[in-house]
Amino acid sequence: MLNGTLTPKKVRPNIDLSLWEKLYIFEVVRGLYITSRHFVIHLFGFIFPPAGKKRSIPTVYYPEEKVTLPEAYRGRPLLVMKEDKTEKCVACGLCEKICPGKAIAISPREKENGDRFPFKFVIDMSRCIFCGFCEEVCPKEAIVMSKEYESLATYNRENMIYNKEMLLRPEKELKARIDYVRRIYSKCNQ
Amino acid sequence: MIADLIETIAKILFVFGINMGFFSPILGWVERKQSAVMQDRVGANRADIMGYKAIGLFHPIADAIKVMVKEDFIPDGANKIFHTLAPFISLTCSIVTFAVVPFGGQYEIFGHKVNLVIANLDVGILFVFAFASLAPYGAVLAGWSSNNNWSFLGGMRASAQMLSYEVAMGFTIIGVIMVFGSLRLTDIGMMQEDFFRWGIFLQPVGFILFLTCAIAENKRIPFDMPEAESELVAGYFTEYSGMKFVMFWMGEFLEIVTISAIVTTLFFGAWHLPFITDADLVNFFSFAGQTGSNFLAILVNVATFLMKVIFFIWLQMTIRWTLPRFRYDQVMKLGWKMILPISLINIFITAVIILV
Repeated sequence: MLNGTLTPKKVRPNIDLSLWEKLYIFEVVRGLYITSRHFVIHLFGFIFPPAGKKRSIPTVYYPEEKVTLPEAYRGRPLLVMKEDKTEKCVACGLCEKICPGKAIAISPREKENGDRFPFKFVIDMSRCIFCGFCEEVCPKEAIVMSKEYESLATYNRENMIYNKEMLLRPEKELKARIDYVRRIYSKCNQ
Repeated sequence: MIADLIETIAKILFVFGINMGFFSPILGWVERKQSAVMQDRVGANRADIMGYKAIGLFHPIADAIKVMVKEDFIPDGANKIFHTLAPFISLTCSIVTFAVVPFGGQYEIFGHKVNLVIANLDVGILFVFAFASLAPYGAVLAGWSSNNNWSFLGGMRASAQMLSYEVAMGFTIIGVIMVFGSLRLTDIGMMQEDFFRWGIFLQPVGFILFLTCAIAENKRIPFDMPEAESELVAGYFTEYSGMKFVMFWMGEFLEIVTISAIVTTLFFGAWHLPFITDADLVNFFSFAGQTGSNFLAILVNVATFLMKVIFFIWLQMTIRWTLPRFRYDQVMKLGWKMILPISLINIFITAVIILV
């Protein structure tokens, strides 16, 4: 397919049916055979569902079972926490600038030694569009997309405003994603 | 006299109970679950009582509770009388047909002759057709009285489609009547005692045509032009809610059962097991005495009939979940240009064979 063998499909408005197909009834029987075959195969698996993922029905019983997400999955953005329980973020404001939904709001402060840090780092999840630009633009690998997608639904819009304490996660939890980000964006930047 | 009355009431209760108590709730579950199984899905299985899910069998109960507490909504500007009347017509037409469908032979219990059909009419098959042709009134009235464009279009389509297929269905049945020489469904059932005299062997083309017309009459996919979810919201019952909405659905489900019962009676040997006559059955159970053997034979008859009906329900469901919807012009072309001529040719050939 990649070697140029892909030809564009043409729509044939007037399909020439053979006599066999024009009789219709045999084609109906063929269709019924296919669906009945699926029916028979799955009937016994549906009455006695085999344990684990051995069954051929791909349905995931959501609250009990969950999908294993790939590294590329973009859940809600999180802040990376260093060993000393402080954030990696230096409050440069690039993510705030690039955010298409204007979901991020940062108020920077300076420490005694002159380092900047975000005194407030607020993400409004009702505005976030999960694009991952903040992660891409961040020079310090301080904000990454995670695999967290639950508990975003609430009864109150105030609950969707996440402050710094709610966003901070230890670095080793987000290790896999940070590695992925390094790999994928370094490849793009070459 | 009293015995006749008891017999009739028992039969009515049996038929009504098996239709309203078994088929109409269970078919909703069957439709969901069968479509799921056919499409590699799991299907509805979340309604549970004390943690028991019972492969989704509690969903009909949940549906019933939901439907009963729902608001019964009549739109502004709708004709209230006809709007209320339409679902009743639709449901009644599909239930009443069972009165003439025989589900067993003639037996003797306690010296009383029992004929396992509620009304043994001379013109049984015509009775079926009479009520089948009343059914469009339900759809058309519902569509017209709802004061809604989609409903109205659905009603118009329903009337055109059902009238067209009524004609073809009548002609296909004529072949069967010619072969068996009787309009009485009990007689037709009796004559199929011999396995090689089953309607399917005598009228194979008639069976296919009849099943096609019957599905078109029932307005189910591939002939669901009157409902056509993707075009007309829900067609003629767009403006219905609560119990009335469910009456349309029950009518449709019971019509599936009716079609299966009629197809079984006309083409698949009614209540007969292949190669076994009613007399054989009574002889086989002769250890149980006069009444007991007859009673056991009745049970076998009814079970056989129900198994055949269930098979045809399965077949119709499979067709419904296999084939895509026809276009409107295709439905009309199929009805008038293909099925009607083929049914006429079928009558002609049948007549020639009978004559020879």
